[in-house]
Amino acid sequence: MMTAPTVAARPARDSALIAGRNLRVLAKNPGRMIYPLVQPVVLLVMFVSVFGNLAFGTPAAGAHAAAGAYRQFLIPGIIIENATLTAPTTGLALLRDAGSGLADRFRSLPMSRVAVLAGRAAADAVVFAAQAVLLLAVAAPLGFRVGGGLAGDAAIVGLTVAFGLALAVLSSWFALLLGDQETAERVLFFPAIALAFISSAFAPVSDLAGWMQPIARANPVTAAAAVIRALAAGGGLAAPLAELGAWLAALILIPGLLAARRWNAPR
Amino acid sequence: MTDPTPAIEVAGVKKAFGRVKALDGVDLTVRQGSLTALLGPNGAGKTTLVRIIATLSRPDQGTVRVLGFDVARQPAEVRARIGLTGQYAGLEEALSGRDNLMLIGRLAGLRRAAARARAAELTAGFGLSGAENRLVKTYSGGMRRRLDLAASLMARPSLLVLDEPTTGLDPGSRQQLWTVLMDLKAEGTTMLLTTQYLEEADRFADLLYLLDHGKVIASGTADALKAGAKAASLDDVFLALTGNAAAG
Repeated sequence: MMTAPTVAARPARDSALIAGRNLRVLAKNPGRMIYPLVQPVVLLVMFVSVFGNLAFGTPAAGAHAAAGAYRQFLIPGIIIENATLTAPTTGLALLRDAGSGLADRFRSLPMSRVAVLAGRAAADAVVFAAQAVLLLAVAAPLGFRVGGGLAGDAAIVGLTVAFGLALAVLSSWFALLLGDQETAERVLFFPAIALAFISSAFAPVSDLAGWMQPIARANPVTAAAAVIRALAAGGGLAAPLAELGAWLAALILIPGLLAARRWNAPR
Repeated sequence: MTDPTPAIEVAGVKKAFGRVKALDGVDLTVRQGSLTALLGPNGAGKTTLVRIIATLSRPDQGTVRVLGFDVARQPAEVRARIGLTGQYAGLEEALSGRDNLMLIGRLAGLRRAAARARAAELTAGFGLSGAENRLVKTYSGGMRRRLDLAASLMARPSLLVLDEPTTGLDPGSRQQLWTVLMDLKAEGTTMLLTTQYLEEADRFADLLYLLDHGKVIASGTADALKAGAKAASLDDVFLALTGNAAAG
């Protein structure tokens, strides 16, 4: 019995295997991608068609230029709002895994336990990226201009993925705290909606209700939207990027460790 | 010289969930190469014991050793040597049978080529040829059970732990599953299983443990248990010892 090799944890390989499984499920069941890909585009077109012509900025610039300025402001907000509202699906998928016989199977295997969480997040990164690419592709004919061309677009996609992942990790921890899938389905979207709307995603902080302003200023959604706006404008990145970087690191590390602890807890 | 290490050694194990004592001092030994059946009414603690042995749950008190490794302190060593077929299929319904076997085999540590070969061997051996590329959600109950068992066997475990492997299957599927289990036994795989079908335990198990209220109330071979209780069948032994008319 002692001749069997000692078991070594392989968190990276196991995470990749779990991510591969989740992506394969999407590939074999393409219907599951319809909602996450169609819904953001519908919302983008609706938002821009309804609000995109609002005058914005200095009246002296003229109504046409002002409306263009609001689109330029609004579309980064919609990209981040979409990532924020997609993030809870990571937590829900994790709870679905946890409640199935597959979770027991995973726990009985000599595999890295954190891989179930990390693999889920890694697969969802692909969803976040697909959404961001699609939104940028639809936003261009709607009048959204990105300075720096493809590199600028790539930077926006990368940032959206990082931001979505941070919130996906947070949603995983919340979901595991709630424990019950049906409860989580009803509860997880409230903090996401609050994060998305109590921010500068749709309007500058100074235009929000007074009580919202301090929350909106601290909100990572505000920082992320600001970074995307700066990327689209082609400069002035330093301040919002540092703030966003701090948020992302904190959101991935702290809820990530708490979620992993909760997933690993013996029962 | 025979290996003196038992496949499973359970000593003084207690486990409570809140006020409910699921296990209240269980001792049990499973010899390597044997097939041992855990019997008992619903709620007797069978699944709790199986989950502790498979490292899914930890005992509050007592020790469990699997092939010499402590389940609480060396769970990774235990996991590398066991296969678990739980009460609920541990499968991804939205993937094909082959994808499931590949995933579980690779997570169990097999290389890609080895996993592919083993998956092909098991699908053929378990009568799943032709269905391996179909999504599991299209499988019948019997096919699902066989695939679940195949998944547990990907890494050729020394010990196979099965929680009610034949529950819910029609007689044909049950017989098919037992044929597979007997072949595994012939190859030297140790098995511990729970079942509500006492005639299966009577026919196939080397040793039986009867659990009730979290305690072992009887153990021995089927013949010894029947002789001891002066009963014609294990059903009668079960009813006499548990005082439980509703055995299901």
